[in-house]
Amino acid sequence: MYQPMLYLHWKQIRLVLLPFMVAAFALPLVTVAGLGGAPAGTTETALNAYAIVEMVRFWLPVFPALAAAVGITLALSAWNWDHRLGHVYALSLPLSRTEYALLKMGAGATLAMLPGIALWLGAHVASAAVALPPGLHAYPNQLALRFALATLISYSVLFAMASGTVKTSMWILAGVSAVVVLGILGTDWTFLQDSALGTDPLQTVIDWLMQGPGPFEIFTTNWSLIDV
Amino acid sequence: MSNAIQLSDVGWRAGSSFELRDVSLNVPTGSIYGFLGPNGSGKTTTIRLFMGMLKPDRGSISIFGRPVPRDMKPILARVGYVPERPHVYPSLTVAEQVRYHSSFFRLWDEGWAKELTGRLGLDPDQKIARMSKGETGKLLLLLALSQRPDLLVLDEPTDGLDPVVRRDVMSAVLDYVSQTSATVFISSHLVHELERICDWVGVMDGGQLVAELPMHRFKNGIKRLRVADAPHVLEELPFVVLSRQSDNGWGSTETWIVRGWEAPMRYELEGVGATLRDVVDLDLEESFVELLRSSRPSTRHGS
Repeated sequence: MYQPMLYLHWKQIRLVLLPFMVAAFALPLVTVAGLGGAPAGTTETALNAYAIVEMVRFWLPVFPALAAAVGITLALSAWNWDHRLGHVYALSLPLSRTEYALLKMGAGATLAMLPGIALWLGAHVASAAVALPPGLHAYPNQLALRFALATLISYSVLFAMASGTVKTSMWILAGVSAVVVLGILGTDWTFLQDSALGTDPLQTVIDWLMQGPGPFEIFTTNWSLIDV
Repeated sequence: MSNAIQLSDVGWRAGSSFELRDVSLNVPTGSIYGFLGPNGSGKTTTIRLFMGMLKPDRGSISIFGRPVPRDMKPILARVGYVPERPHVYPSLTVAEQVRYHSSFFRLWDEGWAKELTGRLGLDPDQKIARMSKGETGKLLLLLALSQRPDLLVLDEPTDGLDPVVRRDVMSAVLDYVSQTSATVFISSHLVHELERICDWVGVMDGGQLVAELPMHRFKNGIKRLRVADAPHVLEELPFVVLSRQSDNGWGSTETWIVRGWEAPMRYELEGVGATLRDVVDLDLEESFVELLRSSRPSTRHGS
């Protein structure tokens, strides 16, 4: 059952997935484009190392953004036709709803790894292409692993949200939007000061999600391909 | 006789716009059960309830004696379903959709699927997104039949199809039934389509099952009578008067639509002072229309 489900997913999302794979492969190459090397032990080397790290850092936000985009797109695509067909087909199959969702989740998660593999290849090619001065190291495996995990997390969260009814998704989105809008409007939250949310609930929620051990911490960690 | 499908006092409500009320339905095992009713009468909702897609607010449902929705997994392994609207994936080809579908059914008959593909004139390499409505209908039937189901549930399977495709679809269903003695539950608002093939009929109207009886009784039991000098109040007649209407609006002769009529009953009619002038057999469509008309409160008459 898993293999046909995987094939169905591939057929449904390959046109979306292929550009992501190309982007994931190209991104590490773009990151190191124009970086040169210099003989060890010279002043130029030290300057060069600093410039390399700075240039690589410029591209850091793009990696988690791409991972999130891949996960979100795949999750939404996974349920797209089921929603359009009113889930009638899925519900007429001799499977429990949990089994069907797990099959679908597994197939999507497998395909979500493809951009990660492309990024791993691209990162290795990029690492080999640049002559690093002493003190700097390339971390292609770590970067690819981080990318894969971030993709899986965003995929899982959106998959769970998209598996619900449109009404459920709308409620979740409305809730998130309400918190964001209230935060932007500078709402007075002092009545919450004794609660766990403090006087800035928006920031508290963001910190809780994005900082360790929050579920999205991986998006804010070090995504550098080249570092000391 | 055991029932393949059994609904007891099932109720289901969708907001304030539609309600299914106390539906009790019995589909005998091995029968071809025609489920008639106008659009919006609750046919598809009833099917979705016993297919486990909706949960009833009250009442109980069983298929092959197993409770719905608790035992849906083993039940659905024995049920072939052709829904009202196509539900296959447009990005797949016919062969890919067949392969995908077959992976969920243990009793899948590969040889039969291939034979049906040829017989129904389907191209295995054709993309579903580019198929006509008729071709999609044939594909859905192919998927349902190749599962070798004990129960085939067809929800308006020929709606919107041209006569040639309609004939192909119905003959494939009948061939399967003749080979396997499977139970078939077929919903339609096309009365003539069911007349030739069904041995039981259920009629839905306004969210209620207004009649359920063997087809021969449905076809033969509803008559149009012309009656003279009938009393205004009718009591203790052995048949059901579905409607009565005065001819020309003023004469003493009336036209009655009755259910359960048999020839000897004329004497009982004469016993209440009425004179029977004529008895006319109604075809299935007329019977269906009269039954619906009589089930609606504004036209109902006592018996």
